[in-house]
Amino acid sequence: MMLRFLLPLVVLASCKESNKMAKAQYTVDSARASLVRQEDTIIFALIERARFPLNSPTYNQSYTSIPQFQGSLLDFVISNTEAMQSKAGRYINPEENPFIPTNLPPSVVPRYPFSQFLHPAAALINMNKEIWKLYFNELLPMFVASGDDGNYAQTAVTDLMLLQAISRRIHYGKFVAEAKFREAPQGYEPLIRGRDREALMKLLTSVRVEEMVVKRVEKKAMVFGQEVSLDHDVKGGTYKVDPSVVSLLYQKWLIPLTKTVESRRECRKIKTLNYNPSFVKRID
Amino acid sequence: MHRFPLVILLLIICAVKCRMAKAEQSPGSGNVYTLASVREDLIRQEDTIIYGLIERAKFPSNSHTYDAKYAQIPGFCGSLVEFVVKNTEDIQAKAGRYKNPEENPFFPENLPPSSVPSYPFPQFLHPGAASININKSIWKMYLHELLPLLATSGDDGNYAQTAASDLSLLQAVSKRIHYGKFVAEVKFRDAPEDYEPLIRAKDREGLMKLLTFTSVEEAVRMRVEKKATVFGQEVSLDSNEDNEKRKFDPSVASRLYKNWVIPLTKEVQVEYLLRRLG
Repeated sequence: MMLRFLLPLVVLASCKESNKMAKAQYTVDSARASLVRQEDTIIFALIERARFPLNSPTYNQSYTSIPQFQGSLLDFVISNTEAMQSKAGRYINPEENPFIPTNLPPSVVPRYPFSQFLHPAAALINMNKEIWKLYFNELLPMFVASGDDGNYAQTAVTDLMLLQAISRRIHYGKFVAEAKFREAPQGYEPLIRGRDREALMKLLTSVRVEEMVVKRVEKKAMVFGQEVSLDHDVKGGTYKVDPSVVSLLYQKWLIPLTKTVESRRECRKIKTLNYNPSFVKRID
Repeated sequence: MHRFPLVILLLIICAVKCRMAKAEQSPGSGNVYTLASVREDLIRQEDTIIYGLIERAKFPSNSHTYDAKYAQIPGFCGSLVEFVVKNTEDIQAKAGRYKNPEENPFFPENLPPSSVPSYPFPQFLHPGAASININKSIWKMYLHELLPLLATSGDDGNYAQTAASDLSLLQAVSKRIHYGKFVAEVKFRDAPEDYEPLIRAKDREGLMKLLTFTSVEEAVRMRVEKKATVFGQEVSLDSNEDNEKRKFDPSVASRLYKNWVIPLTKEVQVEYLLRRLG
């Protein structure tokens, strides 16, 4: 009986200890600061992709006939680049999520002790298939001019950089969710146990904050995308990428998908809650 | 009686002009570059370089990235950044990147050939001079001079991402510097009589003097610094207090241009011109 009482305390204490180690790295405020910085990366990447026209042969499987490879030029560049970056240790960082995770080679460099802030089940959430679809079917046609300049390799490279930036932002939802949970578990636990996805989504939604994000990215797109010369300051109206595309990207996809990741992560959390065995439920 | 030869002469002149015009319009003939288009492209490339600087400055120096003893990658001799750059260039070479004469690899030895259909990029450069590649100097400058100015000291473990952002920035800087070949070709075609005597005399100093416009160079440097200030600022909705916070020091961008990009671009131009008549 004494053991039953002591065991959860020991587990709780060790959880708290590891929480303290990991907590040093991620908080709701630090996660928000990172998301703000990531906006700039996404906008620079949009601008750099917009330098090239659509260059549709990049995406056409029958254009390339690369020996021992089936797929488009884009598939070739992305799968090979991710494989190489994986060997270089990129995906050891829990913030990074590959687009082609099957058969990804392991890292061959010394293992860096990244903070293991996320619970293992939640860490495996990967929404890159959805991100891929929205990127090619909806986003790309919105901001890229039609045409062909032959620079298909560079086009694929800029696609990859933008995809990686978008993917990182959306999957950062895992860290946001974990940080929110740790700072106020009493707010989340009942909803998680009740599997109340709608209420969870409501809790994760701050309309005021989201509106600010949308306005801010539009402003950033105007600042970073403007033509700067010595003659005059802002040349109104000419931007390297349409600022309204950037705000739409955030409003329609980035913010909702990040919240989807957050709520999925919360739902998987319950699987790994082990500090009070009587409350554990199995969730699909 | 004199009319007949005159008419023939006029017809010949017309025929020659038409053939020349046709050559100018057809792709692969090489007249898609002009002084104005080249200048415009260089200006656009400034933005790419500055975005590249900002993105590299996101990471601390992460010195393990550049340490061959740290990486110890099986089957590879070199640092993590060399591994990432070499292998990425191999992938991009197979994908056709280096078929574009504007692109120059950092590791050209044993670069795999393109595996994709050949795109008819304009062959504007003189064949004897098109393969000038000073990337070894750019690499040294980047690692030993620019990075210490740009990256704050520290280590966050993101060596692969650091190397990837190094490569993007290196490619942007390299493209700008090697664009000197196109600048030189345009200038030569515009006024060959100015350049030919100096080229024949192998007068490097004379050529460098002809290619130098201090006021233009100063304007470039100032514009780059202004761009770095604008693009590197922290943008928020709150107020104009943003201007204090920056993602990186804008003077690094103007130093990069003043000390290395502008001089090395001119060096490329001089080397190109010296081979132009060959």
